[in-house]
Amino acid sequence: MPQPLPSKENSLFKQVVKNYEAKQYKKGLKSAEQILRKVPNHGDTQAMKALILNAQGNSTEAFELAKVALKNDVKSHVCWHVYGLLYRTAKNYEEAIKAYKFALKLDPDSAQISRDLAQLQVQMRDYPGFVQTRMAILKSRPHVRQNWTAMAVAHHLNGEFEAAERILTTYEDTLKSPPPKSDIEHSEAILYKNTIIAESGNIEKALSHLEAVMKNSLDRTAVMEMRARYLLLLDRKEEAQKAYRALLDRNNEYRAYYEGLEKAMGLDRTDDDSIPKLAELYESYAAKSEKVDAARRVPLDFLQGESFKTAADRYLRSMLKRGIPSTFANVKALYRDPAKRTIIEELVNGYASEQLTNGSAENHEGDRSSNKFDEAVLYFLAQHYNYHLSRDLSKALDFIDKALEMNPKAVEYGMTKARIWKHYGNPAKASEIMDEARTWDERDRAINSKCAKYQLRNNENENALKTMSKFTKNETVKEALGDLHDLQCMWYLTEDGEAYLRQGKFGLALKRFHAIYDIFDIWQEDQFDFHSFSLRKGQIRAYVDMIRWEDHLREHPYYSRAAIFAVKAYIMLHDKPHLAHESLTNGFTDMDSMDANERKKAMKKAKREQEKQEKAEAERKEAEKKAATKKPATGADGELKKEDKDPQGTKLARTKEPLQDAGKFLSFLLEFSPKNIEAQNVGFEVFTRKNKHLLALKCLLAASSIDSENPTLHEQTVRFRRTLDTLSEPLPPPVAKVIDSTFTLIPTSTSLSDYNDSFISKHSKSAPHVQAGLKVRQLLDSSSLPQNEKELLATLDFDTIELQDAKNGLSLLGEWKSGSEAREAYINAARKRWPEATVFADA
Amino acid sequence: MDIRVLRPSDIPNVQTANITNLPENYFCKYYLYHAMSWPQLSYVAVDVSRPPKTPYDPPKIVGYVLAKMEEEPADGVQHGHITSLSVMRTHRRLGLAEKLMRQSQRAMAETYGANYVSLHVRVSNAAAKHLYSDTLGFTIEKTEPKYYADGEDAFSMRMDLSDLRLKMQDSDDEDEEGSVGQDEGGEVGSAGKKGEGAEAEKKAKKRKVKMGRGLGVGELVERNEIQKA
Ligand SMILES: CC(C)(COP(=O)(O)OP(=O)(O)OC[C@H]1O[C@@H](n2cnc3c(N)ncnc32)[C@H](O)[C@@H]1OP(=O)(O)O)[C@@H](O)C(=O)NCCC(=O)NCCS
Repeated sequence: MPQPLPSKENSLFKQVVKNYEAKQYKKGLKSAEQILRKVPNHGDTQAMKALILNAQGNSTEAFELAKVALKNDVKSHVCWHVYGLLYRTAKNYEEAIKAYKFALKLDPDSAQISRDLAQLQVQMRDYPGFVQTRMAILKSRPHVRQNWTAMAVAHHLNGEFEAAERILTTYEDTLKSPPPKSDIEHSEAILYKNTIIAESGNIEKALSHLEAVMKNSLDRTAVMEMRARYLLLLDRKEEAQKAYRALLDRNNEYRAYYEGLEKAMGLDRTDDDSIPKLAELYESYAAKSEKVDAARRVPLDFLQGESFKTAADRYLRSMLKRGIPSTFANVKALYRDPAKRTIIEELVNGYASEQLTNGSAENHEGDRSSNKFDEAVLYFLAQHYNYHLSRDLSKALDFIDKALEMNPKAVEYGMTKARIWKHYGNPAKASEIMDEARTWDERDRAINSKCAKYQLRNNENENALKTMSKFTKNETVKEALGDLHDLQCMWYLTEDGEAYLRQGKFGLALKRFHAIYDIFDIWQEDQFDFHSFSLRKGQIRAYVDMIRWEDHLREHPYYSRAAIFAVKAYIMLHDKPHLAHESLTNGFTDMDSMDANERKKAMKKAKREQEKQEKAEAERKEAEKKAATKKPATGADGELKKEDKDPQGTKLARTKEPLQDAGKFLSFLLEFSPKNIEAQNVGFEVFTRKNKHLLALKCLLAASSIDSENPTLHEQTVRFRRTLDTLSEPLPPPVAKVIDSTFTLIPTSTSLSDYNDSFISKHSKSAPHVQAGLKVRQLLDSSSLPQNEKELLATLDFDTIELQDAKNGLSLLGEWKSGSEAREAYINAARKRWPEATVFADA
Repeated sequence: MDIRVLRPSDIPNVQTANITNLPENYFCKYYLYHAMSWPQLSYVAVDVSRPPKTPYDPPKIVGYVLAKMEEEPADGVQHGHITSLSVMRTHRRLGLAEKLMRQSQRAMAETYGANYVSLHVRVSNAAAKHLYSDTLGFTIEKTEPKYYADGEDAFSMRMDLSDLRLKMQDSDDEDEEGSVGQDEGGEVGSAGKKGEGAEAEKKAKKRKVKMGRGLGVGELVERNEIQKA
C-alpha cells in the first residue's frame, strides 16, 4: 500500500510525476526532495526520484534508490513499476518482466503496467505470456479497437490462427455501421485478418473473404497481389491470368508477376513447346511500353541458340545505342551459361569491329549518338573481360584505356580501371586510380565511397577515413569515425576491421567487429517502440513482417562476415598471445622465420609505429578536450556519448580468454547461420581448442551436410580423429558413445594417410583441396615436407587456381617454415602467372 | 531489376545504398519508422539475377525510394514526401529511379489520398533535376537557402497527383460496374470519362483520409515512460 501523504506533499507528488513526463527533470528532482524532507521514507517519492535520476543517466544511483524505495514500501505498485522501468532501460528484460508482474499483482487494473508488460513479453517473444496479458487488457478495456487488434496479434504470433481470426471478427461485428473507406486502421485490420486466414492454410476462404472486402481496401497493390496468388494456388487459371495481367499493367518490372502469369498460362520455361509462347507473351509486353526492361531482358534467360542470339543482339544494340553504362550489369548474370557468354562476346566484339570498318556501327544515326554507341561498346567490353567468368585482364585494360581516350573524365571508366588493377592483385595501384577517378566528380558520394573501400583494401585506414570525412558531418566525438558508427555504416566498419586484421592490428580490428555486433543489438532493440507505435498506426501486416524479420536478424551477412573474422582473430590470439602486443611484432610477419637482422628491423619499425600512434592518440584527446569545453559530446543520433575508454581496442586484444570472447560472436553465428559452412569451420576451431568434443563434432557434421568435400572440413576431420586417438584421458563413456555412433566421416578401418591420399587424388585439379590435403599430410608426417612443397608448387599450374589460392599457398609455406629455396621457387612461379600481383612482386 | 515494395528485411541494404550514395543518412530506426507508418510507399529496385551463395543472402538492393506522408501538413493538404532516393552507380540510367518514383507516387494517391508529393533536391544535382522536372513533371516551388548541412541551397519541388487520383476513381467505378454485372468486359477508357473529370475531382478533394494519430519520430523515440497518479 502506498503510504498516504499530507495534502500539500500529495499535490507536490503529482507535480513530480508531471515534471517527469514533461522531462523537466531538475524541477521534478527539486519537488521530490522537498517531499522527502518532510516524509523521508516515502517509497513512491523515492521511486519517482530514482526514475528521474535514471532519465538523467545516473543509473547506478537510480537502482540503489529504487531498492531503498522498495524496502520502504514493498507493497507499492509504483515502486515495483519503477523498478521494472529501470531494468527495462538497462535492457534486462527478464528482471523487468518480473518486476512488472509484481506491480500488476498489487494493482491488477493498471492499464499502463499491463501495456508495459505486454511490450516486454512480445519483445522477449514470450508469446503465451503476451496472450495472457493482452487478454487481461482486452477484458478491462474492450471499447478500444487497438486492444482487439493487439489480442489478435498475440494469438497470431502464438500460432493460434483461429483464435486470432475470431477476435477480429468479434470486433467487426460490434461495428454498427461500417467505417468510412478512408479509415486506414479499419482497412488494414481487415487485410490483416485476410493474411491470417491465408496463413492458416484455408486459401479458399481467404479468397472469398478478400473478394468481399477488397472494395474497401486502401492498399490496392497488396490486395491485387494476394488475390492473384490465391487464384493461382486454387488453380483457377483463367482468373489468375487476368489478375496477373492487371498487376503487370500497374508494374511491368516485377518478375514475380510475370512468373505468376506464366504459371497461370500453363507455360514452363524448361519445356521446349512453351518457349515460342513465352517469347510471344514477352514480346507483347515489350510492345506495350518503350521503357519496360523486364519484358525485353527476361526472354534472354530462357531463349537458346539462334533465337537467343537474335534477341540478345536486339537488346544489346538498343541499350548500347542509348549509351547506357549499366548494360553489362544488366546481362552479366547470363554468363553462367557458357554458350550465352560466347554469343554475347562475339556480338559485342562484332560491334567494335563494325566501328573500325565503318567508322561507326551506327553510322546512319547522328554523329553524337554514334559516339555514344562506340563508347558504350568499349566500356561493355572492358567490363566483359574484367568479369571473373570471362576474364582477360590485358584486354580489359586495353578497352578501358580506349574508352578513357574518348571520354577522359568518365568516373565509371576510372572505377572499372581500378577494378581491373584490383583483379591483377595490385591493390595499391587500384586505390590510386580510384582516388583519381574520385577527383573527376567530387560531389558524388558513390565514387567517394568506392575510393575509401579501395583504400581499405590497400590497408590505408587513415586515408580511407579522410576520404569518408568529405561526406560526413564530423561533429561527433570521434569525427568521421563517430558518424560512421552512429549512422551504422556497416560496410565501412567491416572493411576497416578486416584491413586492420590483415595488418595484425588486432585491437582495432576487434574494435570494429565489436561495433558491428553492437549495431545488431541496436537493431534488435529498435523494434521495441514499434510494439506500441504500430498498434496506434494500425499497420499490423507491416508490424508482423518486422517481427519476423527481427526473429532472424543476425542471419544477415553483415553479421556473419564480421563475426567470422572476429572469431578467427580470437583464435589467432589464443594460439599466439604475443600477437596482442602489436607493438612487438610487425603485423603477421612471423618473427620466428626471420633472421636476427630482419627481426631487429621489424621491432624498430613496430616501435616507431607505436610511438606515432600514441602521439596521435594524445593529440586527438587534446583536441577532444578542447571541443568538449564548447559543447557536450553528442552523436549524430543526438544522444549523449560516453567517452570510449579503449578506442584502440587494446583491452579487447589483450583478453585473458580469447576463446570465451569468441563465443559471444560464435553463438549467434551458429544459431542464425548454421548453413554457412565457414561458420561451422570456425566453430570447430573454437570448440576443439576448448576440448568440447561433442560441439566440435556437431560443427563437422553440419559442415559435412553442407559440402562434404569442403577442404577445411577435410583437414578438420582428420585433426578431430587424431585428437580422439591421442587423448590423455579417456572420454566419459556417454560422450564416447555418441562420438562412436555419429563420427563416421572417416571409416574406422581406413588409415588417416590413405584417407588423405584418396582425398588428394579425388580433387587433384583443385588448388584449395590439394592444399588442404598437403596440409594434412604434413601434419601426419613431417618428413613429407619436400614432397609437399613440390606438390604445392605444382598447384600453381592448375587451370582453375585463383590468386587468393596462390596467396594461401604462400602462407602454407610459412606455416611449414619452409626453407628459402622452396619459397623462392614458389614465388617465382607465382610471379610468372600473376606478374602484376604485389604479394609476389614484393615477396 | 525488379521494382517492388520495400520490406523490413530490406532495410540494412537500403541503408547501405543510402550511405554509399548520399550525404543525408539515417539510422535503421528511421527506415523502420517509414516502413511501419506507410508500408505501401517505399520501393526498392532489386537485382534478382544473382544466384544466392548462402541461404542467407539478402536481396541485392540497387536502388530505393524512401517515402512518407507529411504528418502535419502546414497547408492542411494531404501530401506525400520523398525522404530519399538513390540508385547505385553501377545501375544508373536504366530507368530505375523513374520507375521507383512512379510506384511510390501512385501508392500515395491510392492509399492515402495524397494531393501532391514534395521533395528537396540540391540545386547542383543535374541528374535528379532532370528526373524530377523533365521525366516526372515536378515543378519548382521555391528555393530554400542553405537547406543542406554543407550550406548548399535546395529546390523545394512538388508534383500534383490529382491525375493519379482520378485514375483511381475511374477504376473504382469500373469495379462497381463489374460487380453488379453491367458493362461486362467493356473497357472504360479515360476518354469516356473526361466529361466527368471535374466532378470526380471535386469528389476526390472532399475525401478525407484519417491518419493514425499523427505520431512523429519525436514521440516515437521519446516515449512516455509512465502515466499515473
Ligand atoms: C538521381 C538518380 C536517382 C537517378 O537515377 P537513375 O536510375 O539513373 O535515373 P533514371 O534512369 O530513372 O533516369 C531518369 C531520367 O533522368 C535522366 N538522367 C539520369 N541521370 C542523368 C544524368 N547524370 N544527367 C542527366 N540526366 C540524367 C535520364 O536520362 C532519364 O531521363 P529521360 O526520362 O529523359 O530518359 C541517380 O543518379 C542517383 O542515385 N544519384 C545520386 C543520389 C541522388 O542524387 N539522389 C537524388 C537526391 S534528391
